[in-house]
Amino acid sequence: MAKRLIVVGAGVTGLMTAKFLVDRGFSDILVIDRKYPGSGGSFRCATGVRASFTSREHIKVMLRAIDLWPKLSKELGIKYSRDGYLWLLSRDRDVEFFREAVKFQNSLGVPTRLVTPEEVRELAPTINASSVVAAVYDPIAGKASCFDSVTNTLTHLLARGVEVKWGVEARKIAREGRGFVVETNIGSLRADSVLVAAGDGSRRLLETLGVDLPIRSLPKHALVTEAFRPVFKPLIIDWATSSYIVQLFNGNFYIGADIPEVYDTVAKVKLEFLRKAARVWTSYFPWLREVYVLRYWTGYYDMTPDHHPVIGPVEGLEGVYVAAGFSGHGFMMAPAVGEALASYILGERPLVPEFERLSPGRFARGELIKEIAVFG
Amino acid sequence: MLDAKKVIVCRCEDVTLYDVEKAIDEGLTDLELLKRKLRIGMGPCQGSGCLLLVASVLARKKRTPVSEVPLPVSRPPITPVQLKFFAGGKSG
Repeated sequence: MAKRLIVVGAGVTGLMTAKFLVDRGFSDILVIDRKYPGSGGSFRCATGVRASFTSREHIKVMLRAIDLWPKLSKELGIKYSRDGYLWLLSRDRDVEFFREAVKFQNSLGVPTRLVTPEEVRELAPTINASSVVAAVYDPIAGKASCFDSVTNTLTHLLARGVEVKWGVEARKIAREGRGFVVETNIGSLRADSVLVAAGDGSRRLLETLGVDLPIRSLPKHALVTEAFRPVFKPLIIDWATSSYIVQLFNGNFYIGADIPEVYDTVAKVKLEFLRKAARVWTSYFPWLREVYVLRYWTGYYDMTPDHHPVIGPVEGLEGVYVAAGFSGHGFMMAPAVGEALASYILGERPLVPEFERLSPGRFARGELIKEIAVFG
Repeated sequence: MLDAKKVIVCRCEDVTLYDVEKAIDEGLTDLELLKRKLRIGMGPCQGSGCLLLVASVLARKKRTPVSEVPLPVSRPPITPVQLKFFAGGKSG
């Protein structure tokens, strides 16, 4: 029996798309995942949510996501709070750059502002801000629990009859009659439409349909410490070293730091990451020296040439949709992406017109978008 | 009669047998999902106290042998390590 839709990838994007569809009465969906729901970027990410980007597309899409996060939080019990983002700047040239970025963000309705080192000390108690020249504060940014986002959306879907199977790897997609057949390790699965939201596996899978998307995966590293009572609210970025720290809802400190990596290689645990993460953040927060690291893991940013995701129907292949290449920002925009994909799949145009600029065909047309604020 | 709400399965995160069984009944039939839903294995003991207990509950519920329940990936460090050992510099 053919399904109406197969979603390849039970990450937050695929699950939220299924949720928006089910809520609008679209049934007969099968979601598959090669490992388990959330096993790709969703469960590994820093959980930050912000609209302070430097492209109109990212800002508009993320403003919609920021509208949706509180609603999903209430409906699905996903922990979410607008605790802000703080970008620490230690070089004059960075301040000049961010002065322009803030102007641009303000013009599109994102209330970021430059703040002084004194304000940094208020926003991030206990910080040693001696190297900070200025900072940018984004009060509408925040964080959401990536665990709740996957597990609660998953149980919401299961309770509404959506089939979710994991340990099922999609190896090939082919057209068959008016629909598609997805070849997997458990046999052939059929559906009228297919959504590929499979993170770093998306490119390889779409190649089997003759679709080439320029997505490359870049290894990334993160650690989490033991839990403490709340110390500071915002997610804090050290712009000069492309590193960040955030205290998660449970009290653990999550730290990411940038170390040299090679595209399309297997992510491996490296002592170099621990050294960098520890050096950057113990100098800002000296008490962190005494804090214990509990876990260190790796993951990938699925990077596109313009650092913007590929979202929407695949031109020339009616019934195939894609959501991939999020370049490190997939989790935060998932609610808006799920809503937009549901619209596409229901034959409508997305609510936020900027989604149409993120279409898979833009690379062939040479319509790349410029975004510079990628970090971590 | 055993009160599942009073049986602690994970001491780091205060998770009861009731919590585990409820999550499994909701469809979270995988240790990786139970870990994210309930935080089992995410405390300082790194799962050494709870994971096998939860695996046996899951196996009983799914009517499969415990040996067929996949365990979550263990992340380094094996035991917690203070950041100062990676940062170097003066001891604090």
